[in-house]
Amino acid sequence: MCAAPVGAHTSGMSTHVTPRPSTGAATPRQLDWLRGELAAWTREGLLDPDQAEAVLGRYHARRRLSVGRLLLLLGVAFVGVGLIWLVAANLDQLSPLGRFLLLSAIWLGLLVGGEVLGTRIARGAGGSPVLVLAVRTLAALAYGSVVFQAAQSLQVPAWEPSLVGWWAAGALVHAYAVRSLGPLTVGLVTGLVWFLWAVLEAEPSGMAVVLALLAAAALATGVAALHTRWLTGFSAPWREAGALLALAGLFAAALPFVTPGDLVWNRWLAGGVAAAGVVVAAGAVLSRGRERLEPLGVVGVAGLALLLVAWDTGSGPGPDTGGALTTADWLHAVVSVGVYVLVAIGVAVLGTLRDSWRLTALATGAIVVFTTFQSFAVFARIIEGAWLFLALGLVLLGTGVLFDRVRRGVAAALENAEDPS
Amino acid sequence: MKRALVVVAVAVVLLACVGAAVAPQLSSRLTGEDYLMEVRPVDPIDPFRGAYVTLDYPGLQTPGGSQPPSMDDGERGEVFIPLVEEDGHWVAADWSRTRPDEGPYLACDDRDWAIRCGIESWFAPQDRAVELEQQLAGDGGVAVVRIDSRGRASVVAVR
Repeated sequence: MCAAPVGAHTSGMSTHVTPRPSTGAATPRQLDWLRGELAAWTREGLLDPDQAEAVLGRYHARRRLSVGRLLLLLGVAFVGVGLIWLVAANLDQLSPLGRFLLLSAIWLGLLVGGEVLGTRIARGAGGSPVLVLAVRTLAALAYGSVVFQAAQSLQVPAWEPSLVGWWAAGALVHAYAVRSLGPLTVGLVTGLVWFLWAVLEAEPSGMAVVLALLAAAALATGVAALHTRWLTGFSAPWREAGALLALAGLFAAALPFVTPGDLVWNRWLAGGVAAAGVVVAAGAVLSRGRERLEPLGVVGVAGLALLLVAWDTGSGPGPDTGGALTTADWLHAVVSVGVYVLVAIGVAVLGTLRDSWRLTALATGAIVVFTTFQSFAVFARIIEGAWLFLALGLVLLGTGVLFDRVRRGVAAALENAEDPS
Repeated sequence: MKRALVVVAVAVVLLACVGAAVAPQLSSRLTGEDYLMEVRPVDPIDPFRGAYVTLDYPGLQTPGGSQPPSMDDGERGEVFIPLVEEDGHWVAADWSRTRPDEGPYLACDDRDWAIRCGIESWFAPQDRAVELEQQLAGDGGVAVVRIDSRGRASVVAVR
């Protein structure tokens, strides 16, 4: 059992990536662990009771997601969507220029407001870090409405992916300038939407989706590795985005109807793959210790995914094929599940080592969805009704047992290797 | 003070990004001249920017008349459409991969799935978009397209 050190901001969403001078926040579980340890050290004479009390006094209890935080983040999401909807409503009570100026004023007010609140906290004048996170996130969302309103006012043609790309670029500039995770999250999501949209608009194909997801996964993991040396608080969101994309890319690669033959390269896909290569190399060279293995691991996942795509069974059990299942189809499904389980175990182990419940939850969710999908794709062709559910249940049970055993074993081995004492 | 400078820098960079996002339309609006072109409508919705009318330009159809317009020459990149005036409306005189020496012409692009010149949509409030669609579907209409010296264009009115 490995408890996270109290005060470390490795899990949950903090407002700012630099340490705060006041008492550190810790979850009730972390505080319970600390109390137990302090009591043991006091009994052993390492600390006297006053020292133990002083150490405990350096932390305050905070739940990962209190009702207040939940409401604040929900409010941010609703207001952000509302601002963009306001653009889509095309209100003719205001001129196009008037609407642009109004939304720009709202965005600038939020941008400045977030930094005024952030400065108050940095100076120790009080304030809520969660509120700062909310206002900065809202500013990043409001910036999207400014881009879309400018485009609407100037009649930029509809369905233009570059607008989402500019929104992402702005959100990332904002995130890195003020070092905030809220705008970074907005930038990551919109950047991914832009990349996939641009690639698929140029040449829609299953293979393009696989390559785009894998390139984005490698790039995100490479950036996460670079962040282990600089601006370490940004490493977790990039790593989690990379894990999500790698699992999604492997999922797409295992679909029987995705073949390498339908790929046509376009400028966005080629650029994405090239950028991923550069960032992975930089991440592997410049990061420290075990972190450098993460981008290389994603490259390995990409290799496995491409092998699955290249494996032509001849009569894949896809939705458009009506032929009977062959031995090759069975083998493809079984190997796909096996590879996916191994990669998901890797993500879960990473979650354990990084104390990231989001990575562990992601791996668990991904494996359930993937196993269910593959089971239906194969078994639904030969059995139906109750037997199908029984077969699926047995596959899920077997996968779950394997997943848990291997995850525990690998995590324990890695922890022992890290701490031989 | 330092944080104030950071905020100002962020605001300036992000506003520059907005300018870059709409650069062709902004340039044509600020420096271009107006040309009348015949249009026909289609009426969809953009999830981020609301109701609009997709404009089809009969006078700009490529030689084969394919829909969407396409060069069909096995290449991708810039497409230039020199314009000539016929019966009060401006129509395509040619379709070329080479920039003309003199205007007026449209600078377009077929790197993605069709030739796009930045003048394919007209955004309007929902009721006005429906009204405009019905009006244009009957008798057709005229778009006022503003084009700058580099062929960058934007629609400034539809009637």
